[in-house]
Formats: sequence, structure tokens, C-alpha cells
Amino acid sequence: MKKWKKFSLFFILTAALTGLFTTTVSAVSPFILLGGKEGDLQPEILQRLYDNFVKDDRWKYLVEGLGRTLLITVVAMIIGTLIGFLLAIIRVAHDKNGSVPVLNVIARLYITIIRGTPVMIQLLIIYFVIFASVDIDKMLVAIIAFGLNSAAYVSETVRSGIMSIDNGQFEAAKSLGLGFPAAMIHIILPQAFKNILPALGNELIALLKETSISGYIGLMDLTRGGDYIRSVTYEAFLPLIAVALIYLVIVILLSAGVSKLEKRLKKNER
Amino acid sequence: MSDNIKNGEVLIRVENLSKSFGDNLVLDDISMEIKKGDVISVIGPSGCGKSTFIRSLNLLEEPTGGSIFFEGTDITERGVDIRQIREKIGMVFQQFNLFDNMTVKKNIMLAPVKLKLMTKEQAQTRAMELLETVGLADKADNYPSQLSGGQKQRVAIARSLAMEPDVMLFDEPTSALDPEMVGEVLNIMKDLATKGMTMVVVTHEMGFAREVSTRTIFIDGGKIQEDDVPEKVFTDPKNERLRDFLKSVL
Ligand SMILES: Nc1ncnc2c1ncn2[C@@H]1O[C@H](COP(=O)(O)OP(=O)(O)OP(=O)(O)O)[C@@H](O)[C@H]1O
Ligand SMILES: [Mg+2]
Repeated sequence: MKKWKKFSLFFILTAALTGLFTTTVSAVSPFILLGGKEGDLQPEILQRLYDNFVKDDRWKYLVEGLGRTLLITVVAMIIGTLIGFLLAIIRVAHDKNGSVPVLNVIARLYITIIRGTPVMIQLLIIYFVIFASVDIDKMLVAIIAFGLNSAAYVSETVRSGIMSIDNGQFEAAKSLGLGFPAAMIHIILPQAFKNILPALGNELIALLKETSISGYIGLMDLTRGGDYIRSVTYEAFLPLIAVALIYLVIVILLSAGVSKLEKRLKKNER
Repeated sequence: MSDNIKNGEVLIRVENLSKSFGDNLVLDDISMEIKKGDVISVIGPSGCGKSTFIRSLNLLEEPTGGSIFFEGTDITERGVDIRQIREKIGMVFQQFNLFDNMTVKKNIMLAPVKLKLMTKEQAQTRAMELLETVGLADKADNYPSQLSGGQKQRVAIARSLAMEPDVMLFDEPTSALDPEMVGEVLNIMKDLATKGMTMVVVTHEMGFAREVSTRTIFIDGGKIQEDDVPEKVFTDPKNERLRDFLKSVL
């Protein structure tokens, strides 16, 4: 029951400690190599931590950046899930009943284009081409870009989830007089969702990390925040490792959340 | 809907029904009638098109030729709302096809409630009555994965009955069951037949065909080769292929 909780807590702690250890060691090692005395050690690392994170409230770049990163990820995932399910349902409706042929072509085209081009280019096109002449919030651009991108991947995941449900479920629904939408909503999607939950969790994690390119449109996300600190302190190691650790902890928390949800859904069935 | 159709009157009329999958002509110009109160067993060698035939009756298979009239309506015509027709045609599958994501009771309640034929309370009462009839009232809140094959099939029958269909189609309802569970399902079907339900049953259970059905149809080579009362079909088979078939299964 509470095993995963203990496990993930243990995992986070290990990760954090490892991170702290490597950070300290590497902060210290050049110093040792240079033959510094032991007594100088502490003030040196403290000074560097101070310069990178405390001075001029530099930690705020990380905290505010994290806030933006999370906001983009969450809203983009919601948009991606909504559109993704819609695209998947269109494609399944076409495959199963031959209905909505035009929408199906549009959906396929959309998925092909999105999956066939780098998300970075999509982000740049949306910002510098589509919204070139409009003064639009960069956050909104990032949310739209990552949401639309995610939709294509989610839709393929959902489609494979629906296809994995035995056709007999559909036929039984049909034989009772239920239509395609009712069968989808009450029978197929609930079962498919449970099967694809791990894959959707992976998509969310991938999305979180993908948002780290938001800096290319001048958005101060977590990555850009760390990079900014680097550019003012001329120290790469501490800010970048700190950023990496923050991503890592969030990914671990997300994984734990997904597996908890998975367990709950599984328990509902029995 | 069916109140104006009396026992012995035509419920389903099949006219020149053909079905092919690509080049494979499975049903070849079949015509027949199903009258109210009929209990028809459909027999024939594996792959002869029994499933295709019975699944055409509620358009789970789209015929490639001919017409099917249900209570006077040609259901193969464009513009016919097949969903409304299907509400009146129950179907029981070889693989049960219970909805795995809901309890037994919810399985039975879903269609009547979603199609607004009953309120939730009415459907609940009806579901419990039906579960009582198939002897599974104690399983109402279980999920399908917790039932044996025979129990699943009894629930599937109850689920179909909840729609109060005018006819029930069974496609090899006992073929996926362990031998010791065949009886419990056949008994329920026997009860249904006794109560006057119109039934079409694809089956390998020759005993059931013989004792319960009022008519036996033998399909082979895409055609109905024999259509008669079971005594005739089983004791005095005229058709050569039927004789061979019976030799192989009896
Ligand atoms: N969806 C399909 N696509 C292509 N061919 C099909 C399809 N369904 C059935 N067939 C073919 O149609 C023929 C009749 O199949 P059908 O399932 O109706 O036979 P059956 O009499 O029910 O056999 P069984 O006793 O094994 O259930 C077979 O040759 C089968 O391969
Ligand atoms: Mg069959």
C-alpha cells in the first residue's frame, strides 16, 4: 500500500543527496587539485553558493522559471489531451465505421506534420511566423505550441489504446442499440484510458523536459533561468546542476503520481 | 412495436441475402422467414457462414445483396435508424462480451438507461429481477473478471433481456464454455423458449437443437440446404451434405 511512497521518498532523497555530493565534490576538487588548504574549503563553496543563488535574489530566476515551466507543462498537457482524444476518436470512428472521412484526412495530416518536424521548429514558427505581427504573451505561445505538439503524440497513444480493446465490446454495445459516442464514452474509453495511463505519464514527463527549449523565444523558464545565472556569475556548474536536479525531482514526483493513479484504477476493477 | 405482431406472424423476412468478403461469397442468395415464437437452431460445418448469417440479421455484418425486413421495415435501406432496430434484437455472443469496466448490474442497466427507456431506479429493479431469473442476484456488484464463463454468459443473456427484445440471436453461446457449464446456460435458454421468446440459435449442441428448437436450419455452401422441424432434419435428412454433417457430429 504505502510501499511506493516510501520507495519514491527514498529515491528522491538518494537523487538529491547524490546531486549535492557531486556538486560539492566538483566544486571542491579543482580547489584540492590546486593544493588549497582544508581550512579554505568551506568558505569557498559557501561563497559560490551565495554568488549563484543568494546574491541579488538570483534564486528567484529558478523559482519563477520553475513556475513558468510547470504552468506551460500542465496547461499544454490539458490542451494536448483534449485535442489528442478528439483526434484519436475521429480516426477510430473512421477506421471502424468509415464515417468522417474529411476530418480523418485532416487529423492524419496534422499528426504527420507535427510528428514529422522538430518541436523546436514548431515553437519558432508559431512565435516568429504565425504570431509575428501580433503582440502576444510568450507564455501563451509556448502553451499553444507544446499543447498542439503533445496532441499529436497523445492521439496516437489513445488510438492504440482504443484499438487494444476487444472489438466484441463495441459489438455488444452496438447490439444493444447504443451508438458510437455512447459506446466510446461509457465502455471503450474508460478501459483504454487505464491501459494507456503509463504511456500518457511518459508523455507528460517528455513534455516537461521538452519545454526547456522555451528559452529560444526569450521565455524565462527554468532552463533559461539557470542559464541566465550562469551568464552573470560566469559559473556553469552550480546553476546548471541545480536546474537538472529540479527537473529530476519533478519527474520522480510525476512518476510516483502516475503509478499511484494506476494502482487506484486497477483496484476499482476488482 | 411488436404488440401488433401475433404468434406465428412474420417477424423477420430475409430476401435474397448475399454476403461476400472480397471474393469469398459466404452467403449466396438466402431467403427465409422467422415467425414470432419460432425457436430456430442453425447448424452447419465450421466456416459455412452461420455467424455471418446471424450477424446480418442485426446488421453487425453489412449484407452485400438482398434485403432484411424486421417487423415490416427493410433495415438494409439507407436512412433506417439501425440503432432503434437493434434495441429490439437481442444478441448473445460466443465470447460473452460483457463490459469489463462495470459491474454485472451496471452491464445490465447501461443500455436501458442511456437509451432513456427506463429511469435508473426502474433499470436497477429490472436488473435485479433478471439476475434473479438467471440465478445470479448475489453477483450483482461483481465485475465480469470475477465470474466463471457460464456465469458471464448468463449475465450476457440478462443484459440482452433488459432491452425487452422481440427476438434473441445467439451465436454459439456455449462453445466457449467448459463442459460442466454448458447446462446452466442451455437451461436458461430453454426457459426463454418455453416463455415464448423468438430465438435464433447458432449451435453445435445437437441435443438442444433437437429438443428445444421448433425449426432447424442447415447451412452449407452459402445456402440453406434444409429448413424443417428438427425431427425431420435429424431423423430423416434428405440432403446429402446434411447426412454427412450429422454423421460427423453425432
Ligand atoms: N470479417 C471477415 N472478413 C473476411 N472473411 C470473413 C470475415 N468473417 C467471416 N469471414 C469468412 O466467412 C466465412 C464464414 O465465416 P463464419 O464465421 O460466418 O462461419 P461459421 O459458420 O460461423 O463458422 P464457425 O462454426 O467456425 O463459427 C469463413 O470462410 C470466414 O473466413
Ligand atoms: Mg461462427
